[in-house]
Order: sequence, then C-alpha cells, then structure tokens
Amino acid sequence: MPMGHTATAQAGSGGLTATEHRLANGLRVVLSEDHLTPVAAVCLWYDVGSRHEVKGRTGLAHLFEHLMFQGSKQVKGNGHFELVQGAGGSLNGTTSFERTNYFETMPTHQLELALWLEADRMGSLLSSLDDEGMENQRDVVKNERRQRYDNVPYGTAFERLTALSYPEGHPYHHTPIGSMADLDAATLDDARQFFRTYYAPNNAVLSVVGDIDPEQTLAWVEKYFGSIPGHDGKQPPRDGSLPDTIGGQLREEIHEDVPARALMAAYRLPQDGTREADAADLALTVLGGGESSRLHNRLVRHDRTAVAAGFGLLRLAGAPSLGWLDVKTSGGVEVPQIEAAVDEELARFAADGPTAEEMERAQAQLEREWLDRLGTVAGRADELCRYAVLFGDPQLALTAVQRVLDVTADEVREVAAARLRPDNRAVLVYEPTTADDEDAADEITDEHEGADK
Amino acid sequence: MTDAAVTMSMEFHPQPTAGEARPWAFPAPERGALPNGLTVLRCHRPGQQVVAVEISLAAPLEAEPEGLDGVATIMARALSEGTDKHSAEEFAAELERCGATLDAHADHPGVRVSLEVPVSRLRKALGLLADALRAPLFSDSEVGRLVTNRLDEIPHEQANPARRAAKQLSKELFPATSRMSRPRQGTEETVGRIDAKGVRAFYDAHVRPATATAVIVGDLTGVDVDALLAETLGDWTGDTSEPRPVPPVTADDTGRVVIVDRPGAVQTQLLIGRVGPDRHDRVWPAQVLGTYCLGGTLTSRLDRVLREEKGYTYGVRAFAQVLRSDPNGTGASMLAISGSVDTESTGPALDDLWKVLRTLAAEGLTDAERETAVQNLVGVAPLKYETAASVADTLADQVEQHLPDDFQARLYERLAETGTVESTAAVVSAFPGDRLVTVLVGDASVIREPVEALNIGEVKVVTG
Repeated sequence: MPMGHTATAQAGSGGLTATEHRLANGLRVVLSEDHLTPVAAVCLWYDVGSRHEVKGRTGLAHLFEHLMFQGSKQVKGNGHFELVQGAGGSLNGTTSFERTNYFETMPTHQLELALWLEADRMGSLLSSLDDEGMENQRDVVKNERRQRYDNVPYGTAFERLTALSYPEGHPYHHTPIGSMADLDAATLDDARQFFRTYYAPNNAVLSVVGDIDPEQTLAWVEKYFGSIPGHDGKQPPRDGSLPDTIGGQLREEIHEDVPARALMAAYRLPQDGTREADAADLALTVLGGGESSRLHNRLVRHDRTAVAAGFGLLRLAGAPSLGWLDVKTSGGVEVPQIEAAVDEELARFAADGPTAEEMERAQAQLEREWLDRLGTVAGRADELCRYAVLFGDPQLALTAVQRVLDVTADEVREVAAARLRPDNRAVLVYEPTTADDEDAADEITDEHEGADK
Repeated sequence: MTDAAVTMSMEFHPQPTAGEARPWAFPAPERGALPNGLTVLRCHRPGQQVVAVEISLAAPLEAEPEGLDGVATIMARALSEGTDKHSAEEFAAELERCGATLDAHADHPGVRVSLEVPVSRLRKALGLLADALRAPLFSDSEVGRLVTNRLDEIPHEQANPARRAAKQLSKELFPATSRMSRPRQGTEETVGRIDAKGVRAFYDAHVRPATATAVIVGDLTGVDVDALLAETLGDWTGDTSEPRPVPPVTADDTGRVVIVDRPGAVQTQLLIGRVGPDRHDRVWPAQVLGTYCLGGTLTSRLDRVLREEKGYTYGVRAFAQVLRSDPNGTGASMLAISGSVDTESTGPALDDLWKVLRTLAAEGLTDAERETAVQNLVGVAPLKYETAASVADTLADQVEQHLPDDFQARLYERLAETGTVESTAAVVSAFPGDRLVTVLVGDASVIREPVEALNIGEVKVVTG
C-alpha cells in the first residue's frame, strides 16, 4: 500500500497528475484528483482478454465478462446494475484482445458503493455463479453476436481480416466475440476455471479518477479489496510476436448480399507503446483520417470512385498492430481501380513522406482526440489503467499527447515505407450477390472457407 | 486455491451508505445577440479544453420544395465544401489543421452545424465556421459530388436493419403528404433532382443570422468571446424573415404489423412506435420516468424479461424522441420500443413484450421503481453533462424546440416531484398495447405465422 508517488504534473500532461499505490495482495491502484465536477470514475482492468483463450473456447473472456454482472456473494441477481444506476451512476464492461475492463462513473458521494461492488465480485463471484445465469448470458451473447456482426452488411469483415492477419494458432487469430460453436460449447466449469485463473487482485489495476479524497479513497480500497487473496494461477499469454512484415499479400474475396463493393485491408504495423506506433498513427491519419486526407481527396473528391475511404489504427501491445483500410465503392466502380489508386497513393507517400502542413494537421487531429479522451473522468481512468496494465506505467497516459507531437516527418515516412506495402497486408474484397446468383455464392463460399484453413 | 479458501479468507463488509451529495445544476447559459441578429448562448465550463459550438438554422425539412427532399441535407453538407476564401479541399485542410471537427445535418426542426475544437485554436476555427455560413461556394462540381455521394449512401442505409425499420415506421405513421412520412435525407428519386441552383435557393430562403442561434460552450478562461464573435460570426449578414408556421403533426397509430422481408436474416429488428407529446407537455417528466421504468436500461421491465430472463435479445429500449415543436408550445415526439431478437424467438419475444405492457397497465409501477428511476435520471446528470459538447447539444435542442434556457435544469426538479401514479399513467398512455405500429425487419417465411397468432394487429409483408 505505500509507494505513493508525489503528484507533480509532468511536462506535456496538461496539468493532470496521478499517484500509484500497491496493496499487499498485489492490486495496483492509480488515483487522480479533479474536483471540477462532483463525479468519480472507477475503472478496473483485468489483464485477461481473448488472447488468453484456448482453441475451442473462443469468446470465453467476453462471456465471462457478462457473468460478472450476474451477482456475487453480497449482491443478488442484477444487483450490480441496480445499485449503481439507483445511485445515479453508470456502468459497463468490455472485452478486447488484451484486457477486460469494468467501470462505474458515480456521483462523488456514491464512490464507496462502486468500490464495494467491484471488490465483492473480484473476491466472491463463484459463490453465485450458476447454470441459470450461464445459460441466460450465453443466449444474450449469441444475440449480441448476431446483432453486431452476423445481421449487418460487412459485419464479419473484422473477424475475417483478423483471422487472415494473424496465422492459425496465433493468440490474436480470433476476435473477442468468439464463434457460435465455441459459445455453445462453453461450460460452467470453464467459467469457474477462468475466474480462478485470471480474476485476482494481482492481475488487475484499479484506477479512481475525479472528485476524490485520495487518502479516504485509498482507505476504502484497502478495506474492501485488501483481504482478497492474490494467487499465481495465471500462465503468461502465448507469444504474439511475428516478423515485422508479412512478406506477401494475403487475400480473400467474399461474395455476399452487401449493398456495394468494398475493399478492406489490414496492414501489419509496429506494436503499441513504441515511437514507431505513434509514427504509424500519424501516417494513417495523413493518408486516411478525416476529410482532408490523401485517400479521401483522391478517391472521394477527385476520382469519385468511393463513397467513403479511410484508415484506422488498431493499437495492440502484445502483437503487431493493424492499420485498417476501409473503402466502399461508388456506383458500379470495380475494386481493381480503387486498389490501384490506393497503392499509388501509398507508394507516393512512402517515397516523399508527409508535407509540413500534413504533419501539422495530423498532429492537431490526434491531439484533439487525446483531449477528448482525457476530458472526462471515465476516459482518464481507462487510459491510466491501459498504460498501467499494458506498459507498466500509468504516468505514460498523461504524456501520450506529447509523444505524438514529438514524432518527425522522417519517422512517419520511414514507417510508411517499411510497412504500408502491398506485400504487408491482408486484403478482403466484397462483391455483392443478389438472390439470382446464389449458386455462384455457394461455390465461392467453399473456396474461401478452404482459404481460411 | 479452492473457492472455499478464497471466500473464507476475504473479509466481507456491509454495503456502504452514501456520503453527502455535492450540489450540481445543469449550467445556465448567458443569452445575448449580435448586431446582425444572431442569437448567442454562451456557457463557461471549467476544464473543458475542447470547445463545442452549435449553430441552429431555422431551415426545417418541411421547407424543402416539393420533390426536392434531401436538399436541406445536401445544403448542410455543402456549407463546408468551399467558401469565398477557400476551395473545398483547402477548407477541409484548414479545419483539420485546427484539430477541429465540423458536422452538419438536417432534421425536422432545422439544420444543425456542430464544431468542436481545442480552445487554443478556437479563433481560427470560428472564422472558418463563419465563412461557411456567410459565403458558401455551392459550386456545381461540389454539389454534384455530394449528390452522387448521397445516392451511394442510400443502399447502405436500406441494408441496415435498424435504419430500414425507422424508414418504414415513418412511412406507416404519417400521411404521405407530411414531410415526416418520408426519409429525412431524401430518396433516390428526389436527391437525383438536386443541383447547385436548388441548394443556393434553399440557402437564400432559409439561412440568415436573424433566425439562427449560436451556442458556445467550454473552458473560456481568458477568451474574449465578444471580440471573437464580432470578428467572425459578426460578419455574417442577412435580412429578416417572418417565422414559418409549423404544420400540425397527425399520425395513424392503429395497431398493426408490417414485416419488411429479409429472407435468411438471423435476427428480427423490432421497432414499435407511435406519436406522443413533446417536451412542452406537462406530462413530459412523468413520461420520462415511466418510459425509463419500461425500457430505459438493462434492469427495466422489458430487458428484465426479454434479456435477463429469456435471453431473446442483447437489449431492448423504450424512448421518446422529439420530432418537432412550435413556438406556441405544442409539438410531437416519436415514442418507440426498439431492439433485435433472434429469428426463432420473434413470436415469443413479442408475446412477452405485450405481456409486459399489459401487466404495466393492469398493475402500474411500484414506488421502488419510480424511486430508482428518479435517482438514476437525476443522479447521472453531472456525468452526462461532463463534456462541453453534451451541454451545447442540449442547449441547442432547447432552442430548436422553443423551450426556455432553464428547461433541462428545471426538468431535474420536476422529475424529483413526480409521483408513481403520474408516471404510471404517462407510460401507459404513451404505450397502449392496441395503438402501436410494429415494424419487423426479418425473415417473413419464419416469423409471419407466429406474429399473426399474437393478435397485435393486421400483418402485412413488404419487400425492399
């Protein structure tokens, strides 16, 4: 519990500060004071995500996250939701490749309740985990999958591109939602084992941000979490490292009932936490972020071949990040025409790099995104946990903007030249079908299932 | 380590009680006007480094010329596609150089333009926004591109189950002569007719500072707002105009079901709605409470059964969305229940949904439910309004709906004063089981029969 840092603002932190503490059971605690609004955010990151799942049990981390809202020893049924909302708070949980997070934003005077609730489920979830809750949440999650992925056009693109980008057996080969078959196969014992392995104070970081009294908050944390025993059941995740580049283009063509042709691609990029990742972020912003980007200007404004064109960055700390290209074609435009234009723009950028004005624009955009993230207590709490869990130092959250602003145009060009190449990407092409050519669709389906294996 | 060991060694404490609440109130804006007639609402929010500016233009959808549905949308988008100082491309570049975002959209009450920018670059971004309002280029080439782009978007919306359901519900509820019956952003037929001349005519007729309002919210420490406004939005000139009469809203909520056929769909998108009162109505606070109890969250009545007991859905919500209000204090909102359920569960889910409505009508809400709803809706206000953008958005909504500037602040007091009986009456009258239009986007071959068996109204199947 000692080891309290002094709360002195660092350069480039926008005046924000955070202190770090550790309980005897290994729980790391990060506190950040801000009294502008009478609210406090509680955020708890468990260092477990879909990358820790094993073959045949994809989706378990996320299904388990749902079970965390089904009650614990002192909290009946939906009590986590009922108590927080009844106290004027909001709450949720999310699961990604690398972590599972749970968060409550409370009016200041209800902060203690949120800490009590999180401690109760961290220490005693198994006492109320039962078949009824498991069966119910299995159905809810399957409907979540249908709603977000299976019943919307292009809904499975993310899953397909991820599977192409990370080879079979790689911890990031599958996405957090998991497959229907694996969701069906998960058992109550799997869930119990998952909890015993990953849900321990020494595998978590708790941040509390906002209108708080740090001493009082720390005393509450000690009171509620301090007696939860730590344990070392967790195995490190499987190694996610891969060569810097793919060394060839991976490709899949989907014939599906979608409204327009689409070209999507994932480029293999540097891992999060590196200066190269920030440089890649800037490169993708110049090329495909917003309405003044090169791809938007080329495809949407000049060529008028696309209805929308953009790049996004999926930052990952335990495996290469992904640079996400998404282009929906206009009218009857064919994909090869789009692809040639994209390749031309990327090649030109790799040769010349960004202009000074493009650098300024991209940095200004990313700076505003950071101000948005850090502008709410919940956003700040989440970022502090992220840097603590993935990089071991929550203070890095407060200086992240400065690191983006420090990157030079040369570094941006270098990462683009090295990584944004046709032989370093997985490509997904969508060709629309109509009811009339279902036979053809079946044929192609077989083909790409073959390609998947 | 065994579970027993974990459980035994953890020390449990009783549930803590709340501390003393710190007061919070929805911010009161300062209201003023520029010499050009532009109304200005400003609001200082300490710590909010990203400033939000909302411009509300009195250019409602029903003002679109006949056959040109979508011209308000194209005009809104074209505002940022070049001005007398910058080409379209330069404008986008200059804006992003400020780290700003600028969005514009057209809806029933009018056109809204939303700017967000770090306060350090507010001056420059506000200048660009003023250019866009004062001297948009509306070139043939850019308008033509926006029209094509809009035409390309329509099939994507058509394919999205939630968007498709919303479009069908509007068509069902409102008479064909009402603008509200038709897609906000136009159809392929009407958008195809839009050109630069039409956009310019709509702008000339409906965009002027005298009928517009600017809302500016954020950490304005050290910012000379008056000087800033004078040299930016103050340069915008225009004549005055008579306020347009607001046409009354009529709707047919005869209980019936429309299935939009999607062969092979794995889920059915539900949208069940009718038309009800707007925020001017005295019943509004009670309706807010009752609607929350019915379907505001995962622990509300609908999700307690459909999600947490039956697992039919990832979530179903009930809500009221204001369509349009007039200055005399009348108006209408869309009252609706929406969500999606797996195809096989469509019949049973709707059956349960109607049972929830009937039970609510027969037995009413409990005091505990009403109390939780008040605690949540009032309690979450400080977090809901933490950012400048959320405050600016609500202030601009109030302006558009002709509500007083303290409406939201007063609403929290009124919610706390509203009892269980009133809340029950409001929600039961908002969602009567026999006056709801049900739109289902799903596989008709599977869901039609079970839905017909429910007797919730005549069932019709449409395609497209």
